[in-house]
Amino acid sequence: MTTQTILDVKGLSTTFARGNSALKAVRDVSFSVREGEVLGLVGESGSGKSVTLRSLLGLSRRYGKVSGEVRWMGQDILSLPERKLRPIRGGEIAMIFQEPMTSLNPLLTVGVQLTETLKAHTDLGRAARRDRAIEMLDHVGIPDPASRLDAYPHQFSGGMRQRVMIAIALAAEPKLLLADEPTTALDVTIQAQILDLILSLADEMNMGVILVTHDLGVVAQTCENVAVMYAGRIVEQGPVRQVLRAPRHPYTEGLMRSVPQDVPPRTQLYSVPGTPPGLDALPTGCAFAPRCQNVKDICRTERPPLAAISTARLAACFNPVCNSMEASR
Amino acid sequence: MSETVMQIRDLGLEFPTPRTLVDVIRRRPARVVRALNGVSLTLEKGETLGVVGESGCGKSTLARCIVRLYKPQHGGIHYRGEDIFASESKHDRDYNRRVQMMFQDPYSSLNPRMSAGQILEEALRVHGMRPEKEIPARVAELLDLVRLPQDAAAKLPHEFSGGQRQRIAIARALAVEPEVLIADELVSALDVSVQAQVVNLLLTLQEELDLTILFVAHDLRLVRHVSNRVAVIYLGRIVEIGDSETLFASPSHPYSQALLSAAPSLDPDEKGNAIRLEGELPSPLNVPPGCPFHVRCPHATDICRKDVPALRPIEGRGEVACHHAEEVKHHA
Repeated sequence: MTTQTILDVKGLSTTFARGNSALKAVRDVSFSVREGEVLGLVGESGSGKSVTLRSLLGLSRRYGKVSGEVRWMGQDILSLPERKLRPIRGGEIAMIFQEPMTSLNPLLTVGVQLTETLKAHTDLGRAARRDRAIEMLDHVGIPDPASRLDAYPHQFSGGMRQRVMIAIALAAEPKLLLADEPTTALDVTIQAQILDLILSLADEMNMGVILVTHDLGVVAQTCENVAVMYAGRIVEQGPVRQVLRAPRHPYTEGLMRSVPQDVPPRTQLYSVPGTPPGLDALPTGCAFAPRCQNVKDICRTERPPLAAISTARLAACFNPVCNSMEASR
Repeated sequence: MSETVMQIRDLGLEFPTPRTLVDVIRRRPARVVRALNGVSLTLEKGETLGVVGESGCGKSTLARCIVRLYKPQHGGIHYRGEDIFASESKHDRDYNRRVQMMFQDPYSSLNPRMSAGQILEEALRVHGMRPEKEIPARVAELLDLVRLPQDAAAKLPHEFSGGQRQRIAIARALAVEPEVLIADELVSALDVSVQAQVVNLLLTLQEELDLTILFVAHDLRLVRHVSNRVAVIYLGRIVEIGDSETLFASPSHPYSQALLSAAPSLDPDEKGNAIRLEGELPSPLNVPPGCPFHVRCPHATDICRKDVPALRPIEGRGEVACHHAEEVKHHA
């Protein structure tokens, strides 16, 4: 069965100006999301995963230059003026942010913030909006929703605030949810609750999700497909099981191996040597070359393209990790 | 037989919250945040004791009590038999030297206006570790110890990456040749690939210098990896303490079980066995009576609502504070 592709991103680049130099935060990123698909975007801090997400919705264009193509239901939304983008942003594509503490307005009650979204994106009347708001709060598991509608964000705990954020994001029944590290600020027990909630709602509403995270465990437990980013580019992409079980890009392998799971306790962990490069001082050739164990001469001079290495899998590497008899290219 | 370095007995600490105007008008008494409610544990020479728990459970408060940043209202801490809060100025400084703390945030825990070299020199001078003319050599030695290049001494903290800053923090702690290191979320702010480097360094140094480490963290995989023993804290109380491998393989307290099963596995097919906790950590302003966990516990009975369970040894396991520890089978 083929489901419809709802978002198609091609060659997305975002550049921020810093003094006289340009910081290329996102470089030539391409991916697509199908209806109901959960796509994970992983990478370390500064790898460009959050900027990618923000660029999709036109949130970066005030500060930087965004180029490429973002097709939403066949329409290029990157070139769309603010006015035309507004019904899509928050309506068809919703976003939740990392910090539930700072992304809610502290001066407005939760009810006002919820009905505001409904007012902008639906044609419900005043009473219907209130009913819908109560329904949404109930849906995300907030006890006693009718009375909580008049509460302010500070009266909620972190986990509850993230639930409110999700309720606001989902109020207009979006087709795609962009979740930027939705659980990073939360404790593990709450994290599990919130991820379960996002997944079950996505399933129920047949909504696509792009989940940005740095936690490979979260990706393993929630996503179907994953894209690994390093220094602004996608370096490996494919179905979660295949990518995590048998990573082909040395960076993905390094990430997997540095997580202490199934290693003898108190032994030396595998670690990727060095640190991620600054975006203003990227090496020529492959950005990972200075830290790579499989590095070859060509890696230092030429940049490997993101190419198919098997069905459904892409990797940007001249000398990918071999898990089988497959020889390096 | 191992020797006990530090003995913490029945530690209790409350922070009063300021009364608001409304409180004063309504004559409500000041409320207190009960951060620690009787924590007892020992640190053995050369071991790593991991401390895990959710945010707000008191794990950082415990760490700060040990280095005397907070003075507890109840109980006490004895270091090699001496009460650390019975102040005698001479021993004070000696204790500060022997028990060193490293902080979570590598961006705010180093003075931005002092170079790495000056930061290390200051530690050496304050404690009179070396005669003045041997100090530069010792700084070089310390940088070498934490695998930083020699030119790092002249650089300011902002010129380093997060991982390198944590190395400076480790070097600063080690400068005064301590016996005990308190690592409060030492690597939590670092990226995974860098985290592994710092953890490896810590393990190597512990071996070389025979250090005792209290490793406070919320990353369970990491705690399992570095610790010999682990203490699970819930609302300012230890609910389970024991050998790291046994505790992680088969946790006995319902809270430990839920906490450990909530950590997402790297294997996409390994799901479904997770125990989902209802609700959230109660506020330490308002600790529930009886077992503090009973409001979220799937096994709670009447006794849990009334009596606080004491930490007691369970055969084949560590010590568990649960009325039903024997019946509660591990779900892993």
